Amino acid sequence: MPVIFRVSYRMLGDRAEAEDVTQETFLRAWKIMPRWQPNAKFSTWACTVALNLCRDRLRKKKPVLMDEPPEQVDVALRPEQALASRQAVSRIEAEIACLPIRQKEALELCAIDGMGNIEAAEIMGVSIHALESLLARARRSLRARLKQEMDQ
Amino acid sequence: MTDTGMTATRVLELIEAYGGAPDTWPEAERAGAQALIDAQPEVFEAALLEACRLDGLIAVRPEVEPYTDLYERILDDAPMAEVRGRSGLAWFKSLILPQGIRWPAGAAFASLMIGVVGGYAYASTGTVESFDQIDQAYGSSFDLDAADDWLNREEGA
Repeated sequence: MPVIFRVSYRMLGDRAEAEDVTQETFLRAWKIMPRWQPNAKFSTWACTVALNLCRDRLRKKKPVLMDEPPEQVDVALRPEQALASRQAVSRIEAEIACLPIRQKEALELCAIDGMGNIEAAEIMGVSIHALESLLARARRSLRARLKQEMDQ
Repeated sequence: MTDTGMTATRVLELIEAYGGAPDTWPEAERAGAQALIDAQPEVFEAALLEACRLDGLIAVRPEVEPYTDLYERILDDAPMAEVRGRSGLAWFKSLILPQGIRWPAGAAFASLMIGVVGGYAYASTGTVESFDQIDQAYGSSFDLDAADDWLNREEGA
């Protein structure tokens, strides 16, 4: 799967929107191609464009205010059953979606196979130190929110 | 601190930021961190276990594939319409596979995209080295597991 689609899907959580962002990213790529610098890394450039397009779309969306945390997983299930259930996946996805956007970007980029921290930081336009700080905060937050699942 | 300059504090920072799988840690620090963990496993056991649990939860989310027509929609947008024709494909292959070496199984879209972009780079610079750079960069951008199908289908059409 193209990394651009994966990044977009993870950020937006919607396949159709992720496809639109992927297509728009390539439209921009086609436009700049005659002036492309061969020493630049395409995946880094394209992910940066895709991430910016995702941010634009997320900004235009109405904020989802959550008065209550997402539904809890049925604790009667064994861990492997709970994790396999759609309910559990939905809760994990919801908690990741609730992260501040920069933390979410760092988490999702670094979760992609083959994406090193240097490239992830470059895509986000931050230092390695800042990237690690965002990652650590994201993971701390998720650990607290998913404590029940972590303990199972 | 080890010979590599790695410290327990830094190992814990790596686990805190990147998770419990060493292959997700920065390459330059991986060996040093692993050596320290191997030497003092009890120091890092709890942090690694907790990090791996969270890694498992994050990884449980299913991968979603794009609809197959996304590739063709993107190619439809490409300015080089001629590359989609039979002669264009032949040109593509000669450009992508100058030595006649096949891509790994399943590489159609990646190959095609490399060809489109590589074509630009090749035309603008005229050097094989620049094409190789593009080839490598673009190859890293796409999964190579879907590609021959597309090329074969286009050829067989």
